[in-house]
Amino acid sequence: MRRFMPIAVAFLSLACLASAMPASQTPPPPTPDSKASSHTVAPTNHNAPRTGEEVFKANCGRCHMPPSSISPRITGTVVMHMRTRARLSREDEQLLLKFLAP
Amino acid sequence: MRLEDIKRHTRLASVLGFCLALAQPGTAQAPTGTSAPETNAGYVPAISGAVGYVQNVNGGVTSLEPQFNPVLLIPFGSHVQLESRTEFFGFFQRQPQPTGPYKGKIFKSVDYAQVNWLANTHLIATAGKYLLPFGLYNERLSAIWIRNLQDTPITYPIGTRTSAAGDGFMLRGAALQRDKYSIHYSAYFSALSNIHELEAARTAGGDASIFLPKPRLEAGVSYQRFLQPREINSVATYMSWQPPSVPLDIKAEGDYSYFGRGYWLETAYLFQQLPIPPVFRKTQVVGRMQQFFPLNGGGNGLPRVDTQRFDFGLNYYFRDDLRFISSYGRTFSSQRNANVWNFGFTYRFLYPLWPARKK
Repeated sequence: MRRFMPIAVAFLSLACLASAMPASQTPPPPTPDSKASSHTVAPTNHNAPRTGEEVFKANCGRCHMPPSSISPRITGTVVMHMRTRARLSREDEQLLLKFLAP
Repeated sequence: MRLEDIKRHTRLASVLGFCLALAQPGTAQAPTGTSAPETNAGYVPAISGAVGYVQNVNGGVTSLEPQFNPVLLIPFGSHVQLESRTEFFGFFQRQPQPTGPYKGKIFKSVDYAQVNWLANTHLIATAGKYLLPFGLYNERLSAIWIRNLQDTPITYPIGTRTSAAGDGFMLRGAALQRDKYSIHYSAYFSALSNIHELEAARTAGGDASIFLPKPRLEAGVSYQRFLQPREINSVATYMSWQPPSVPLDIKAEGDYSYFGRGYWLETAYLFQQLPIPPVFRKTQVVGRMQQFFPLNGGGNGLPRVDTQRFDFGLNYYFRDDLRFISSYGRTFSSQRNANVWNFGFTYRFLYPLWPARKK
């Protein structure tokens, strides 16, 4: 147990350090044919109602790399699947549909 | 192929065709569909899943492990959906070791086949064979294109016996949703089944979690009562955090059961924001450490001696759906210490099963 404690502490320290670092000014690499990420990122307004982009970024990334594009033909199908898996609310589902297939 | 196999496959194809035929009316684009009239979201049947290949070297023994895991999604309107995942898993090793030719076989299993009724925000009812919602891993991270490290955690058998799936029903949903937090739940009952491809144990359990969307922090607890042949309790507590300003993913889980207790802690960092050439910004480093301590002799898929392990992974995302994976791990136990290497790739696919309607 003791042998692994330094590793655990190192993990947590790195995590805290990384989260405390300011985000780099360098933009992230563009994703090809990006429908989802092609939407302009609005400045954060804590009083504004949630947007589909916020729901997308907050929920999809909880488990996996968010897809760069989804065919509109199957957007409803995929969002239904993800709503079941991530136990999303009906409101979140509607916001995601508006964002992914406006 | 035996006559029984032909009959079984014919029945399966008939059921699949019937479902697809039923689903066709729901394939219209949303403006003419049953809901979400303000979007262009379509409800066409889709096939998703993953293809992968992993070369595993565990204690000097090499295994070749190709995988194909198709996921079928068939919606019936916008409230009912049939979904299933089948796993084709190849396992090849030199026989005899260490210089013989590679021999092995391909295993097939149905991971889940379930019908979901999305009644409202608070209730999603599921019936059929479903993945057991215990901890973080089984339901959310087990897909090969999602997991950052290909080897499952040591404590994975806790709460997922005997087949990682349940046969019966499950209720789940968002119990409460506010702007600053949401509370989710799952509750299930599984019956004992020894039917081929539907194997499951008699269990009951549930999961509850709270998610804070602004810091992207989630914490939860899972409970399972194993109802055969000896009734035992299993508990998991977990947390997951993806800070919005940094491409960092931290996950941790602690598990406890009659047969042992342990934990794992995993951190993944994508070089997306580093001031380096763009080609290197798609690199992800992963670290995971875990410890397990058996109770009452351990076993049932768990080690019988104290075991510790750390893993270090290096993944490269060519695209969001295609990545190269590699990892090195070392296991420490009183039985033996061993190095574990993994190399390979995973590809996630997602295609409509139905052509678009001509306008």
